[in-house]
Formats: sequence, C-alpha cells, structure tokens
Amino acid sequence: MSVVEHGTSHDSGHGAGPWAPRPRGILMRAGYVRAAWCAGLFFLIGMYIVVAIRWLAGWDPVYDWNIITVTGALTMAPIGFLLGLGAFDYWLYWISGRPTRPEDHSGHGAYSWKDYFKVNTDHKVIGVQYLTTTFVFFVLGGLMAMLFRAELAQPGMQFMDTQTYNGLVSMHAALMIFVFIIPAFAGLANFAVPLMLGAPDMAFPRLNALSFWLLPIAGTMFLASFLAPGGAFATGWTSYAPLASEQPIGQVFFNMGVQWAGASSILTALNFLVTIITMRAPGMTFWRMPLLVWANFTTSLLVVIATPFIAGSQFFVMFDRVMHTSFFVPEGGGYVLGYQHIFWFYSHPAVYIMILPGFGIISEIISVFSRKPIFGYRLMAMSLLGILVLGFSVWAHHMFVAGMADWLRVPMMISTLLIAVPTGVKVFSWLATMWEGKIHLNTPMLFALGFISMFVIGGLSGIYLGSVPITVHASDTYFIVAHIHYVLFGGSVLTIFAGIYYWFPKMTGRMYSERLGKWHFWLTFVSFNLTFFPMHWVGLVGMPRRVADYADRFADLNLFVTISSFALGASVVVFFYNVVVSWARGPIAESNPWRAMTLEWQVSSPPPVFNFEEIPQVVGGPYEYGVPGARHAVLKGGAAQEAHV
Amino acid sequence: MTGIGIVVAILVTLVAVLIPWLPTSASEEMDRIEFVYWFATIICIGIFSLVISVVIYSVLTFRAGPDDEADGPSIHGNTGLEIVWTVVPAVLVIAIGIVSAVVLSQNGRAGTSPLTVKVFAQQFAWRFEYPDQANLKSGELVLPTGRSVKFEMTSADVIHSFWIPEMGQKQDLVPGIETTIVVTPKPGHEGTFTLVCTELCGLGHATMRAPVRVLTQEGFDAWVKEQRSGGGGGATGAAVFTSAGCSGCHAFEPAGSNAAIGPLLDNLAASAQKAGQPLDVYVKESIVEPGKVIASGYADGVMPASFGESLSAKEIDALVQYLTGTGQ
Repeated sequence: MSVVEHGTSHDSGHGAGPWAPRPRGILMRAGYVRAAWCAGLFFLIGMYIVVAIRWLAGWDPVYDWNIITVTGALTMAPIGFLLGLGAFDYWLYWISGRPTRPEDHSGHGAYSWKDYFKVNTDHKVIGVQYLTTTFVFFVLGGLMAMLFRAELAQPGMQFMDTQTYNGLVSMHAALMIFVFIIPAFAGLANFAVPLMLGAPDMAFPRLNALSFWLLPIAGTMFLASFLAPGGAFATGWTSYAPLASEQPIGQVFFNMGVQWAGASSILTALNFLVTIITMRAPGMTFWRMPLLVWANFTTSLLVVIATPFIAGSQFFVMFDRVMHTSFFVPEGGGYVLGYQHIFWFYSHPAVYIMILPGFGIISEIISVFSRKPIFGYRLMAMSLLGILVLGFSVWAHHMFVAGMADWLRVPMMISTLLIAVPTGVKVFSWLATMWEGKIHLNTPMLFALGFISMFVIGGLSGIYLGSVPITVHASDTYFIVAHIHYVLFGGSVLTIFAGIYYWFPKMTGRMYSERLGKWHFWLTFVSFNLTFFPMHWVGLVGMPRRVADYADRFADLNLFVTISSFALGASVVVFFYNVVVSWARGPIAESNPWRAMTLEWQVSSPPPVFNFEEIPQVVGGPYEYGVPGARHAVLKGGAAQEAHV
Repeated sequence: MTGIGIVVAILVTLVAVLIPWLPTSASEEMDRIEFVYWFATIICIGIFSLVISVVIYSVLTFRAGPDDEADGPSIHGNTGLEIVWTVVPAVLVIAIGIVSAVVLSQNGRAGTSPLTVKVFAQQFAWRFEYPDQANLKSGELVLPTGRSVKFEMTSADVIHSFWIPEMGQKQDLVPGIETTIVVTPKPGHEGTFTLVCTELCGLGHATMRAPVRVLTQEGFDAWVKEQRSGGGGGATGAAVFTSAGCSGCHAFEPAGSNAAIGPLLDNLAASAQKAGQPLDVYVKESIVEPGKVIASGYADGVMPASFGESLSAKEIDALVQYLTGTGQ
C-alpha cells in the first residue's frame, strides 16, 4: 500500500459518514483564528478572576499587573491557545458525551505542507514539527550568543547595559537547553522510535500532539520576557534564589516558561515509556531493541522522575515573589540553599537527558557506518541504566562551593567520578565497534567521530570538576563555560546534527548534499574548538563566568574567542542551506541508502502514514552486520501478527 | 598504532606543560590544588591520547573503498576486554577521588593560630572586619603571609562568591547562613591581588571586585597600627571610593572608573542645584539615603541603602570631600 492509498482510505473523517463533523465557520473551526481569540478570551478570564478577588477583598491595587501577568498571560492565555488550536477537541467531545471517532485519522499524516502547521497526530509529522521548531530557537539562541560575544570582544561596555547583557546570557542558555537540545532529541526520537519498534505510531498520538504544541508556548514565553518592563530574565538559566525573586517581572516568564517546557517533556516521556513497553513488534525483546530505543527509554525514566523537581523549584521562587511566601527568604525562615538542592536534583539528571539520546544516535551510526555489530551490546544498554541510577546521586557536585553540609562533598565527589565508568564503557565500545570495520566517512559518521573526540574532552574536564579541590578553584569561571559547551555542543549538538543527516533521507525522501555536509562538519569542528578551547585557560587563570566586563589582561583572548564564535555561527548557514535546498530538490532517496538493519530503513522513504503494512516479526538483533544470513525482522506476510493498537 | 599513540601523547603533553594553565600559586591551598590538578592531568593525558589515536588509526586503516560494500567481521564483544575497561577506569577515578578527599581535608584546616577576618558582601561591594584587631574595618583586604586566615562570611542580600584566583580557594556567601573558608598566603608572595565575585549577583556583578594586599607579618602589624591610629591611606576619599565598591557602578574621572550601572559622578554640582540642595549635603544624602533623589534614567533600589551603617562617619566625610573636589 502506498502513501496515497493510505491517505484516501483513512480520509473518510473529512467527508461523509456517521461521524462527519458539522461544517463550521472560520471563527469556530480548530485553527489559528480560533486559537487567537481563545487566547485573548482566556487572558481576560484570568485577569478578571484576579481583579474580582482583589476587589472583593479590598486589596490595593485592584489591577496588580504582576499577578495578572502570571495568571492571565502566562497560565490562562496558553490554555486558551491550545484549546482554540484544537489540541483538546477529541477529549472535550468525549467528556461532553458527544460522538467521538476512535478511528478518526483526519488529523493524521501530512498530505500538504499546511498539515505541518496543524495539530497532527502522526509521530513522523510531530518529529519534523519538533525539529523545525527547535531549530528556530537554536538560531535565535545562537544569534544572542553572537551579540554578547560582540560585547565581550573588548573590556568595558560597548553596545549594551549590564542588565541587557545578563538577559542575553540567560536567554541564550534557556533557549538552548529547554527549547532546543531537550526537545530536538524528543523530535528525533518521535520520528525514529515507533518505526524502530515496528509500531504504527506512539501509544498516545493525541497526547503526543499536545506535547509538541506546549513547546512553542514555552519558547515564545521566554522570548516575550524581552518585552517586559525591566527587560528579560537576567539571572542565568540557573535562576538562583534569592536574586531571582528580586529581579524585574521578566523573571516570571522564565519561571512559567520552564513549566510549559517541563510539561511537554514529561508527557512525551510517558508516551515513550508506554510505547516502548507495550508496542514492541512481536519478537522485539528488550535485548533486541536498537540502542536508540534503549537510550530514549532511559532518558524518559530520567525525565519522568526528575522534571517535577525543576517545576517545583520554579514555582517556589515565583511564589516568593508573587505570594510573599518565604521558601528561600532567610528572614521568613526560608533556606536559600534549598533552591539549589531542588534545582540541581533535576538539572544534573537533565545533563543526561541532554546526552543519552545522543549516545543512542551515535551507537546507530557507528555500527552502520563501520559495517559491524555494536561491540558489547548488553553492556552498552546496561551502562545507560548505570548512568540513570548514578545520575540521581551526584546533584550536589554543582554546590561544592555553595556552603552546603560539608560531609556531602566527598560522597558526591565519588559518585560523580564513578559516572566516568559507564560513560567510558560507551566510548571504548564505540571504538571497538569501529575496530577492523569497513568505515564509511559519510557526514553522519564524521559528526559521530567529531562527537567522540569532543565529548572525551568534555568528559575529562568533567573529571577535573568532579574533584572537589579543583572545582573549588575552577567553579563559576570560564572553565565551566568551556566544559558545558564541550559536553552540550561538542556532545549533544553534534549528535543532533549527526542524527539529522542520518535520518534526513527517511524524513524527507530526499538525499542531502554530502559535499556541503562535510563542509559543515569541518567548519563547525574547527571553529567550535577555536571558540571554546581557550575558555579553559581564561577561566583557570581568573576570569569568572557571566560577566559583562572583565580585567584588561584577558582582552586579546576574548577578542580571538569572539571572532571564532562568529565563524561558528556562520558554519550553521551551510547546514541550513543544505537542508533547505535538499529538502526541496535533492535527489530522491532510496528506502535504505545506508544499508542499515533497523526497521525504519525497511520501509519506504518517507515511510507510509501508518509505517508498516503489517506489523513486522522481529527475528534477531538490530546490528547483525557481517553475520551471514542474519535478519533483524521479517516484513509482510510470514509470521505477521495483529497490530497492537 | 603505537606510533600514532606516541605522537598524540607527546603533542597533548606539550599542550599541558607549555601553556601556563594555572595562575602562579600564592597560597598553600593553591599548591595542593595544583598537585591534584597534575595528578588528574597525567591520567587524562593517557585516556585522551588512547581514544584519539584509536579514532585516527581506525579512520586511516579501516576505511572502506568507495565501492566496497562488504561488512566487517561479526565481532559481538569480548568479556575480558569489557571487564578491563570497566575496572581500570574505576580504579583510576577512585584514585583521583582519594587524593582529592585528602587535599580537601587539608585545605579546610586553619592551623593553630589563624587570623580571623569577617567578610560582608552586598550588591556590589565587599567589606572586611578584623575581630582580633579591635574590630578594625576595611574596604581593602589586607593579609599577612605565613599564617592561615579564616574567613567568616555573610551576605546582606543575594548570593555572592569569594575568589582570589592566585589563592585557589572559593566559597559562596549566602544570605542567612555563615560560610567559612581558609586561605594561607605563602611567604615570598607578598603583593597585590584582586578579589572577584564569581556568582552572578545582578547588574554590577562583573565589577564587584576588591583590592587585596598581602604583606609580611610585620607589614601587616604596621598596617593594623596605622589604621587604628586613624591615619594612613585607608581613610582617604579616593581609597574609600574604590574599597566601598563605588567604582564598581559609577564613572568618576578622578578615580579613573568608567562603570555605567549608576549615574556619572563628574557633574554633581549641577545635580545638587537641580535638587535645590548645597553640594555637600546633597552628596552625603545620596550616599546614605540613595532612594531620596533618583537621577533620571536610573531605577530606585539598585544602590544599597546600607552605606550609612557600613562606612564610618569619617569615611563618609572623606568620600564627600573627594566627590565634591574639596578633599586632599
């Protein structure tokens, strides 16, 4: 069955039939017009709830814009937006007892580019929606980095005041972490995981659509804080109390934006867990799952357990401001360091949320492009679980100089250093996978090798930072900035690029340009190192992080870093040019250009709307390269079984 | 393979040795931090060289030809090898952990007769007090060598962090709790240093610095005596301007400061006229009660209102004279 046939056979929801929706005018039809007026209406409802309560209680002023912003603009308006867009339609029909259509596929799959701008329940469409949205935030975050690097080209202040500088630094990190890296991985996994499992879609497609649409809300909320009186939130992405509860109102845009991004993460993670546990094709035992699936299984566990903690920490900080609670106000009996404990209990595991899916991508690519089975598959899967468990016992290594209980430092140091063991297992296993292989240096493989090299530097600077005495010297300096960028850019971002190049033929049905891909890799690799490697030095010899101005003796090196960062920014242009032009008129891709064994490559490029004509039967491991006659799965006929829907 | 490994290891070692990665140590604690640093560096050079040379060697040796569609050998693993690369790194990191724990405990010891210095931080200035020297107050941190100094630190508003890069030690100052840190300046390393705030604390974070002067014990005693007799340079307006943190936020030509967080101080006469007050009364009021008159374009509540308490009357007078141009 081809794509088109699938489309028409499930298209009945659009036309006649017992459940055909009543025709509606533009105002009442799910879409952007209804989203706009619903958002406005809900804002007013939120606003007048606040106003009515304050008026009845006799509080002055009746119009308290701090509270109206939190309730009306940052809570109610987004709910109205989602409602208007149609994200809740099915559930509301069901709740109100109106006829629902369990087999309604009217909002499923993309038949025109317009379908990418709607609430869509197809995991492949949602995956592409995630990736395009997150790359918009990636560009904005990157441009902000170039702006503040321009300010840092010379000591003293040239272009902006310090509040603007602090705002740009904070916004850069918030965008990159919460609405780029974390959801970009969710996007890649959304596309690949159901296909790899042999499933027709995610377990909860409507929830999946809702999770995606929470994301632009979060990103827009962060960006909107630039318009707030007093400027954007300016306390770093860590947003430490009590500074965060004393800053201008822009700060609550961060507190609330994190809630929306966090809700998106949690819902997606639940969806992945249920999908991976219940929707594996027959024969797909846990020990036959591709490592990308293992990686997202582990990541989803991390998200579900840890993310509520950052939600709590941001609520508490915000309550201290708007409700005059004193969670972190010492005069009211609060405990300032409590914020950091709760924040890092999420935000350290968040580092693994931002790297484990990348590990999964790299495992796929190294094996396919070396034409060899993954070396030590079971230990690779176990090491992910090892990182998961250890990852929850290390959060206070971010607080070695914070003034916490002294006894906590040595145990947290030991558990931190031990994380090097499962991580080392992964690196050594990738190397052993390449050993004696038949290595093809296509663009995904180049990014994978670049990732291994850069991630080792980031991992080793992490060993220094695990050691308490060294961290006492190096924390809160540019050494940290260097470390985090070797882990998150040299690590996560390179794996995202690798993944996009790897699945680009499958997602778009077209091939990207290898020549431009290689240019992109080498430009990024070189300018990345020129930008971030010198930061190790400048930090160790005395330059603190998050400073708008610095001592004259660091001037030359900062100018060099600024120039390099512009080159790094420019290298991304090559990527966008390649992706856009290839998507529009690249050569048509075969269904399996990499000769890979995992299931997503056994169907057409792009895959049919419901992925598989019949659910495949899995008969072996996913990486049996070089094993004569070995197969991962049998598609069509044979031992095909009923779908798990 | 071995050849590539040796070349990579030599190159990495040169990078590690030839670049002065750490500032010249000026404290005993920094010496011990350097020891841990080099201990970890040797291990890291080994691991990094191993990984990178395997990557380079594999790409050079195992690269498939353009039309080579064959698969590699189907090697699924090797239990012995997997045990080795689990156990060896575990042993190495635990060794780093043990060395670190020992140094951490040594760096927390204050010796037999430490000098106690109280540190007060507020946005965006540092203040120091010497309880054993009759509560001597200073805006400049003056330390003797050859003796441990125990800092007892508090913050009046948000979190700040205390760091003198050459001394290594760092500690946050947290509102509501007292934190401590030990620094032992080394004899032979007398000189001037800078104390910097390393925790983002608001508008003036980048310029929240304080001068540090390390003297011999005799020099320190002489400084204490001079301060207590009320004379000396500490009370001049110019010194207070820097030590109280004014220069962190205000541009003032005689002081050579060019920060732009607060209003420019070169035209105070005009501002006083606008406020309808005599110049010295206006300036003093603006220091002690900064919220009374707010220069246009600046926000209320940014400048701390606590200088009336943290500075002595004499220091305030000196500062007023300095700013009005009537001082020495």
